[in-house]
Amino acid sequence: MRRLFLAAALLAASTSVSLADTIRVGMSGGYFPFTFVKQDKLQGFEVDFINALVDVTGDEAEFVTMSFSGLIGALESGRIDTIANQITITPEREQKFVFTQPYVIDGAQVVVRKGNEDEIQGPEDLKGRTVAVNLGSNFEQLLRELPYADEIDIKTYESNLEQETALGRVDAFVMDRVSATQVIKETPLPLALAGERFSEIRNALPFRDDEEGRALRDRLDAGITTLKENGTLSEISQKWFGADITE
Amino acid sequence: MRPLDLDYMLGLVPVLLKYVPLTLAMASVAMVLALILASLMAIVRVMKVPVLDGFTRFFISFFRGTPLLVQLFLFYYGLPQVFSFLTAIDGVTAAVMGLTLHFAAYMAESIRAAIVGVDRSQWEASLSVGMTTAQMMRRIILPQAARVAAPTLVNYFVDMIKSTSLAFTLGVTELMGATQKEAAGSFLYFEAFILVALIYWAIVETLTVLQRRLELHLGKAHAR
Repeated sequence: MRRLFLAAALLAASTSVSLADTIRVGMSGGYFPFTFVKQDKLQGFEVDFINALVDVTGDEAEFVTMSFSGLIGALESGRIDTIANQITITPEREQKFVFTQPYVIDGAQVVVRKGNEDEIQGPEDLKGRTVAVNLGSNFEQLLRELPYADEIDIKTYESNLEQETALGRVDAFVMDRVSATQVIKETPLPLALAGERFSEIRNALPFRDDEEGRALRDRLDAGITTLKENGTLSEISQKWFGADITE
Repeated sequence: MRPLDLDYMLGLVPVLLKYVPLTLAMASVAMVLALILASLMAIVRVMKVPVLDGFTRFFISFFRGTPLLVQLFLFYYGLPQVFSFLTAIDGVTAAVMGLTLHFAAYMAESIRAAIVGVDRSQWEASLSVGMTTAQMMRRIILPQAARVAAPTLVNYFVDMIKSTSLAFTLGVTELMGATQKEAAGSFLYFEAFILVALIYWAIVETLTVLQRRLELHLGKAHAR
């Protein structure tokens, strides 16, 4: 009980006085293998990446987990300082936030229940079907911007869309190719990639577009350059994906 | 039918149990605050205190008339956009605030009914022996009303414990949030959710046993 209040007090204190060296990093904690929880331990590619990054810049990282669709709002309102959750650079987001250089290059991928991959071979086969995407994700944007978007029944989820597809409640889901490949490889769910990846996406760390945010961006951006040059970033990528997805 | 992964479930038990204290703490703090607020509102309604009575009626109407989830989102995501200083409110505080206000509205009505339900003769007798209104309330009416209201209030507490699970939508990693994350990482949804259901159930059953004891205790003076 006392600990709860202490934690609440600390949280309140940390939000009112943002210390220069503790960076509050938001993530969902439910997006395998980028950020996920096993046995109460937050882990994944993003966690390793941030830890390596603050090692280089000499900062401290404090991970804050919340639902994915709440992350952008939390960054805007100053509850967190940046987001490490495969955030894709989009023109809309660039109007509000400043980004570091990309640290993951990836593509959008249609994923279906195993056995349906001959029937659905890419985004144009999604006409007249039900497709799951993460609420507030760039994949939702991507689908809605397709010329035939009105023929697709787009359903948004906070999480568990892989399960929805495996159970056959939706015909497909759209995610990044890397995560999708890992989910198929590492989990018991009967899923398959449908066709090739479409539309390149670049992931970077977003910051508030103010003096403090830009200063933090510049510092961490330099850190990413170091991680790319000394090979640490591709090492982390190899560990989680068995491939270098950072170039 | 796939076989259950019992090893995974067993491994998850200690992990999830660590979150029970937070769930109980949120519910208990909200319950105490809601009881105080509800009692005040009930007295305002019974005594028909001018101005406050109208405000109380409006408050109860709003918090009973809108879903708890809407209230939580309003506090946590909505209001900070309009009043930036509210950003300092973290998820746990917002959840406890939402639960307090929501359940206080319900409890105020139960407590009011219990107070009104105390026989008029008790009121008249208290006043005739020269008690002030405050003395009468404190010594005669409220203790009797408490006995009538107790079972309903415990019921609200049970509801409140379960409603803390909504706090995960505000990014609080409580019992439900922790389960969600574990399930999203392992993809063993059935195992994770059946386990968390059993944990909530066990908490509520424990409370039900305590409720029976409380009722026996409060009923002692009236045993015939």
